[in-house]
Amino acid sequence: MYQNIKYVLIVACFASVAAGCSKWMDLKPQNGIIKDEFWKTKEQVNAAVTGMYASMMGGTTTTDITVERPLPELFFLWGEARADMISPTSRAISEEIDLTTLNILSSNRITNWRYVYQTINYCNTVIDLAPDVLKTDATFTQAQLNQALSQALGIRALLYFYLVRSFNAVPLKLHATVSDQDLTALKKTSSDTILTQVVKDLKRADSLAPLTFGSDAIDKGRITKYAVESILADVYLWMDKYNECIGECEKVIASGRFGLVAGDAGWFDKLYYNGNSAEHIFALQFDAQKLNSFYFMHATTGRRWTAAPHLMEDVFGLDVVNYPPKVDIRGDGGSLRAGDLTIWKYVGANSNNSLRSAEQSYAQWIFYRFADIVMMKAEALNELNKPLEAWEQVKLIRNRAGAFDFKGLPDSTNKTSMQNFILEERQREFAFEGKRWYDVLRVAKRNNYQRLDLLLTMATISVPPDKQQSALAKLRDKNSHYFPIYYYELQTNKLLEQNPFYK
Amino acid sequence: MKKLNKGLFVALTITAIGYYMAGCKKEAYRLETTGDVNIVGYLEKYPDSFSLFKQILDRTETSAFLNAYGTYTCFAPTNSGVRNYLKIIGADSVGSADINVLKEMVKYHLLGDTISTGNFTDGKLPLPTMLGQYLITGVANKDGVSRYIINRQSWIYQSNIKTGNGIIHEISEVLIPPSKTLAQALESKPDYSIFVQAMKETGYYDTVNTVNPDPAKRWYTVLAEPNKALADSGINSYADLKKKYSQTGNPKDPKDSLHMYMAYHILDGLKYLADIITASAHQTLLPQEVVSSKLENQRVLINDDVFNNVYEPGVELIREISDNSSTNGVWHSSSGHFMVKFRKPQAVYWDVSSFDEIMKLPAYYKRQNYRFVKANELDWPIKDIDWHYNSASTTMTYSYSTSSSITRYMYNWDANILPMGLPARAAWWEFKTPVIVKGRYKVWICYRTQRQSTSSQCICNVRINGELMQRPFAFTDFIPAGTDAEREAIGWKRYIENTTDGNFASRLVGTVDIQTTQRHVLRIEAITGTQNTNNLDMIHFIPVDQNQVLPRFAPDGTKVWQ
Repeated sequence: MYQNIKYVLIVACFASVAAGCSKWMDLKPQNGIIKDEFWKTKEQVNAAVTGMYASMMGGTTTTDITVERPLPELFFLWGEARADMISPTSRAISEEIDLTTLNILSSNRITNWRYVYQTINYCNTVIDLAPDVLKTDATFTQAQLNQALSQALGIRALLYFYLVRSFNAVPLKLHATVSDQDLTALKKTSSDTILTQVVKDLKRADSLAPLTFGSDAIDKGRITKYAVESILADVYLWMDKYNECIGECEKVIASGRFGLVAGDAGWFDKLYYNGNSAEHIFALQFDAQKLNSFYFMHATTGRRWTAAPHLMEDVFGLDVVNYPPKVDIRGDGGSLRAGDLTIWKYVGANSNNSLRSAEQSYAQWIFYRFADIVMMKAEALNELNKPLEAWEQVKLIRNRAGAFDFKGLPDSTNKTSMQNFILEERQREFAFEGKRWYDVLRVAKRNNYQRLDLLLTMATISVPPDKQQSALAKLRDKNSHYFPIYYYELQTNKLLEQNPFYK
Repeated sequence: MKKLNKGLFVALTITAIGYYMAGCKKEAYRLETTGDVNIVGYLEKYPDSFSLFKQILDRTETSAFLNAYGTYTCFAPTNSGVRNYLKIIGADSVGSADINVLKEMVKYHLLGDTISTGNFTDGKLPLPTMLGQYLITGVANKDGVSRYIINRQSWIYQSNIKTGNGIIHEISEVLIPPSKTLAQALESKPDYSIFVQAMKETGYYDTVNTVNPDPAKRWYTVLAEPNKALADSGINSYADLKKKYSQTGNPKDPKDSLHMYMAYHILDGLKYLADIITASAHQTLLPQEVVSSKLENQRVLINDDVFNNVYEPGVELIREISDNSSTNGVWHSSSGHFMVKFRKPQAVYWDVSSFDEIMKLPAYYKRQNYRFVKANELDWPIKDIDWHYNSASTTMTYSYSTSSSITRYMYNWDANILPMGLPARAAWWEFKTPVIVKGRYKVWICYRTQRQSTSSQCICNVRINGELMQRPFAFTDFIPAGTDAEREAIGWKRYIENTTDGNFASRLVGTVDIQTTQRHVLRIEAITGTQNTNNLDMIHFIPVDQNQVLPRFAPDGTKVWQ
C-alpha cells in the first residue's frame, strides 16, 4: 500500500512537471504563425497570394521615406528621376536630387533593392509551398493552384525585369527563404540569364493564368493571362525580339477585352481618377484603406517633385494659332497642371483643377495599359523596318489624345525618324508613369548603343548646367546606366561585386 | 559511503579549480569604439598602392595629423603616379626630393572637409585645398569607361573611401598645382600674343600677375581672346587693336577705350565655366559693366542677348580650351572678339502680365483668367515673379477680360492680381525686370485702382535692387483730376489711351540710378492696409530726360502719342 502511494506520487509528480513544461519549453512564437501551421488550406494560399500584392504597395514596416519607400514610389523614381520629365523641388531630399544629376553613390537609399527582393521572396514562397496544399486541403483544386502559381510567377518575373533594367546583373533567387538554413549568399547572375528565366517564368504563367477572376476590379489588379502577355511583350522588346513582342501584343489585342478610353471629358476620370477602365491591364489597386505615397510627393506644401518646366512647350505642344487652341488632353489637366507644374496624374481629382484630398490619394500605379500594347507594337514594327505600319498604330494613340502637330510629323518611310517620334509619343502618353528612362535606355542601347545620343540629349535637358558636362561624360560609359548596388548589400553579402561604374 | 564522499570531494575540488582557472582567463575587451582606420591607417593597409605617398606624408610630417581626429579629404596618388611625379621633379626617391616641394604637393592633395563625389561639379570644388588653390573636377570617358578626373590630370580610380577621419579618393597621378599667374600663363601661349600685349599696354598685366596673399582678394577670371578670334574681326596685330580703340592714344588712361576693352575682359573672382553659367551676369573690372552669360545646347555663350526685341548674337567660351587654372585665377578662351556695348538709356514699358509661364498657356494667355498657386513658401511657380507666401496670398491671378471694368482699358486687357498686406496677405511681391540699360530712370507703377471695400487701403513701398524708392504708392489711390502737366508735377499720369475712365492710374515712385545694364529686381512691399484687389498692369522705366507722359497704351498693345 505504502509502495503504491509512493508510485502514485512519483507518477503524479512527473505528470505535473510535464504539464507545466508544455508552455514554457515551447519554442513556437506566441504571436505569430509558423510554417508548419500555415500552408494547410486554400484560404491560406489565398492570403499568401494577396500578400504579394499588398507588399508591393509598401508600408510594410514604416512610412518614413528614409527607411522604406513603397515599390510604386521606387518605380516612379527609377523610371523618371534620371529622365527629363520631372524636377525636384526644394523639398526633395539630397539623394533624390543626386538621382536627377546622375550623381549616384552606393549609399543612395533609392538604389536599395531590399523591398523588391522582399516581394520576390513572397512570390517564391507561394511557388515553393502552395503545391503541397493540394495534399492537405481536398477543396484546393489544381485550377486554384495554377491561379496562385501564375500570379506568383508573373509578379516575380515583373520584378526581376525591373531589377535587370535598373541594375543589369543581380542575384537570381528562385526559391523561398523560409528558415535560417535558406540564408545563402548569392552571386550576381548576368542579365541575359535572368531575362531567359523571366521569359521562361512568364511562358509558364501564361499557360496557367486565368483569363478572368470574374470581376473587373480583380482582373485589373491581379495577374491575368493578359497581364502576363503584356509583361512578356515588354521583356521581348527590351531583348530586341520584335516578332515575339508583336506576337504577345496581338494576343492581348485579339482578346477583345481591352481598348482605348475615349478622349472625351470623362477621360481623366476613367483612366487616372477611378481607374480599372477598359484600358487598364495591370495596376496596383490602392484604395481608401491603403493609400499610396503620391499625395505627399506631388501635392501639398511639402511636395518633392514637379513636372519639368519645358513639357508644355516642347513635349505636349502649345497652339498659339487657333482659338480655341488645339489641346493635347495629355498636357495641361491630364499629365500635369501647367500653372504650378503639379504632376497631375496622381493627385488630380479631375481635369478641371481640383486636387484629390489626402484621404483620396489612391490613384493606381499602372504597370500596363492598352495604350502601352499599341505603342510597343508600333515600336517593334518600326524596328522591323515597317515605319508606315508603326505610324498607323501611333496615330491611334494620337487621335485619342487630340495630339496636334507643333514641331513636325515623322517621315513615315524613315525608320530613324519614326523611332524618334515613337519615343516622343511614349513620352506624352506615359508621362510620369515610370517608363521614360527605361524607354529611352531601351532604344539607346539597341545595336550596341547606336542611339546613345538619346540619353545625352535627355541629360542636356534635365541636368543642371553646372553638372551637365560631368553627367554627359558619365552617360558615355554604358555601365553608368545602371544603379550601384546599395553598400549595405555589399557588406552583408561578400559574394556581391559592385557594378563596374561605381567601384 | 565514506569512500564515495572522498571521491565526491576530489571531483568537486577539481571542478572548482577548473572554474577558477577559466575565470582567470582574460576576456578580450575591445578598447576602441570602432575598428575603422583613419586616412593614414588606410594607406598603410594597402602598401602596394600607397607606400610611396605614405613615405611622402611621413617625410613631410603630415602623417601624424592625418591620423588624428578631424574631417579631411585626401586625394591619394598611387605608387605609379608618385614615381611619375618624382621623375618630373627630378628626384630619384622620396628621400632625395626637395622637402618644400613635397610639402606643397601634400597640401595640394588635402582638403579640410569631407568632399564626396556627390559634391563634384563641372568646375571647382566647393572649398580650396590646404595650399589655397582650388581643384577642378569633371568626368571624362576613355575607352568606353567614364571616370572622375581631377584638374584634367588625374583619374579617380576609387572614390569615396570612407575612413575614420575623412574620405580618400584614389587618383592615378600626382596633382601638380599651377605655378604661373594668369599673366604668365597667357604670355606663355603665343596664340594670345595680341591680347597679352594689350594687357601690358593697359597695365592690367600687373593686375593679373600678382598673387594677393589674402585669398578673398586673390582671384580673377580672364576672358582671353586668341589672335584668331581677333583676326576674324579684322584685327591682325596689336597696332590694329590700338588703332581701333585707343582714342586717347594712352591705353593706361581709364577713359581710353582700349583700357575699357581690357577691363571688360577681366572678371572679379574665380569663375570656372560651371560658375559662369549658373549666374546670368558677371561684373567686370570695367565699372558698372557686366557680361551676360547663358548655356545653350551645352555651349557657354556670353553677351548673347535679346535687347529691345533685337537678337544680338554673342560669343562662345570654348570649353575644350577654357577653365585653365592659374595661381591667381582662371582664364577662358573666347571664340570671337567682343567689346562692351555702350548704350543710351532707353525707356522700358514693361507689361508685367506677359511672362513666360502664362504665355505657355495659350488657352489662357490673352484669353481668360488663370490662377498661379504657390504651394509653399519655397515654391516658385513663375520664374521671374515671386511673392510672400501667406494664408490669404497663395494665389496670384492672371486676369484677362476685354469687358470687365478692371481690365477693359489695360494694356493687353490683362493684369496680375495679388492679395497684399499683413497679417494674412502677402507682405511683398517681387519681379525680375527686363534688361534695363544703366542710367537714371523715373519709375512709374501703372495699376487699376480698386478698393475691396470703401475703406480699404493698400499702401506699398517699391524697392529696386533693395534700394527704397522715394515715394510709396497705393493700389487704392485714384488718379487726381488735372491736366497732364499738373498731374506730372505731383507724380501722376494717365497711362491708358482711354480718357474718361478715372480708375486707371500711374504713380511715380521715384528716380533710380540703374548701375548696370542687366535685369534687376523690383519689389513691392505692403506697408499699410491690406486687400485682395491689387491690379498691377505695367511698370515704366523712363530715362529722366525723356517724355514721362507719352506714349500712352491702348489695350491692343499699340502706343499712343497724344
